[in-house]
Amino acid sequence: MTQSMTYINKPRRINILVIFMLCVLSLCASCSKKPDTGVDDKVTTLGSIEVTAQLLEIKGKIIDDPLYDYAHVMKYKILEVHRGKVEKDTIYVGHYNPAEPRSSVADARVSEIGGNLRTFRATDIHRMALEVPIDDYYMGGIINKYFGESEDPIYWALWTNLVIK
Amino acid sequence: MDNVMKTRFVILTFIVIVSLTQFSALIFAGDNHDPRIAVLAKEVSGRGWIVYAARSANGDWDLFLMRPDGSKIRNITNTPKFNEGLPRFSPDAGRILYRRIAAGENFDNNLHGMQGELVFADSDGSNTDVYGKPGEYTWASWGPDGKRIACMSAKGIYFVELATKKVVGRLDRRGFFQQLTWSPDGKWLCGVANSFSTAWTVARMEIATGAANAVSSMNNCTPDWFDDSQHLIFSYRPANQENNDYGWTQLWMADVEGKQRTMVYGEDGRHVYGGDVSPDGLYVLFTGNMKEDGDASGSGAPMGLMRLSDTPTIGGKSKALRKLHGATRDGPVLVLPDGWEPHWTYSDLGTAK
Repeated sequence: MTQSMTYINKPRRINILVIFMLCVLSLCASCSKKPDTGVDDKVTTLGSIEVTAQLLEIKGKIIDDPLYDYAHVMKYKILEVHRGKVEKDTIYVGHYNPAEPRSSVADARVSEIGGNLRTFRATDIHRMALEVPIDDYYMGGIINKYFGESEDPIYWALWTNLVIK
Repeated sequence: MDNVMKTRFVILTFIVIVSLTQFSALIFAGDNHDPRIAVLAKEVSGRGWIVYAARSANGDWDLFLMRPDGSKIRNITNTPKFNEGLPRFSPDAGRILYRRIAAGENFDNNLHGMQGELVFADSDGSNTDVYGKPGEYTWASWGPDGKRIACMSAKGIYFVELATKKVVGRLDRRGFFQQLTWSPDGKWLCGVANSFSTAWTVARMEIATGAANAVSSMNNCTPDWFDDSQHLIFSYRPANQENNDYGWTQLWMADVEGKQRTMVYGEDGRHVYGGDVSPDGLYVLFTGNMKEDGDASGSGAPMGLMRLSDTPTIGGKSKALRKLHGATRDGPVLVLPDGWEPHWTYSDLGTAK
């Protein structure tokens, strides 16, 4: 009986130790996410507008279809304008094929875009190099779930970096 | 993998590809022994010529001419170093325009009008004239007099006088982004636009005013004109198709006001593209591929020809599609060789033999 109890208790102690170590590691990992302003050579030079903005929402499903290319329009709250002029506090930005990480999104149709953002998530903060209006810079399908709701110009995202506060 | 294994693998792959090609050709549009098909073939055999792109024996894409019954096929480019596609007869059928890319590149079904060089040639493929550099004169479409073309780039739509290469007019794109086509009466443009609440709307634009209207919204492409300039043929993939989340793309037609649209041909198991109406509006050509976007990246797909008076026709069993459309005419469909984006003229072409 004693032997049996020992047999059961030993792995339990190991499990608790493993969970504790994982918690410590994940805590360290989150602590190691240093603040990042999203500044790099591209975001500060591409396009005529540069902003830091919070992604308020992603309306509609992001389509991940290798056969068709889309720009998906997303709503942002402006936090800071670094270059150029932005008239409103809320802007609409078209991101090309947003299912793709920005680092690998450039292709034959759209060559000069990128950034370090991997995934679009509402409430995240992005530093972006932009142009406006989108139609002057991009000729392709656009998913705009704000059609009829907003007449504001749609910005075109050239470079998108994640900002960590 | 050693050499013996490699050879076996190549042979096996070849057999599989050939089998699939034959199978796909056989099942397209049902039974090719239908006696009505022979009648249709005889009816159209003398009605001009069809120009289309297809894989040559060398494996590259060339341009071909054939009679509408599929006879008298002739390769008119024979250029192993280039792939050619998107041929369009001039209004008098004396010339063709097309795009040309290097043999190692693939045409993309949504970018083809921007790829490579714009080339003009006589309609038998002779007297080629490479018009501009790669990436120039994108989405070029003949004007009604054959002396101008309409083109489209991100900066807008522009009209070019061919003899002088002068830009003689400009329009805002208004969301149009691909497959621009000038109407036979010269007053309109059609294309695919993203400015009518959904992407992939087939739309029409009046050249005199730049005003645009939606003709068919959501999941539409490859529009082309009827000769009356009052109707469009296009591909449309309806949403929420039974047993198929993505859906099959069908051939539809509509009046240019977008008031009424009608399915022309549909087949569960086929994506139907490349619609082209005969000059008298009696017949329609199309391609039917089993893999979405498979025309340009593969070897094209079997072309089909049917009477527009048989609209709507449903091919094969297509149980889900038949439930939606009730009574259909199901006329004969003449299956033509594998090809991509065919175009039809009733001209005798003079030199074509």
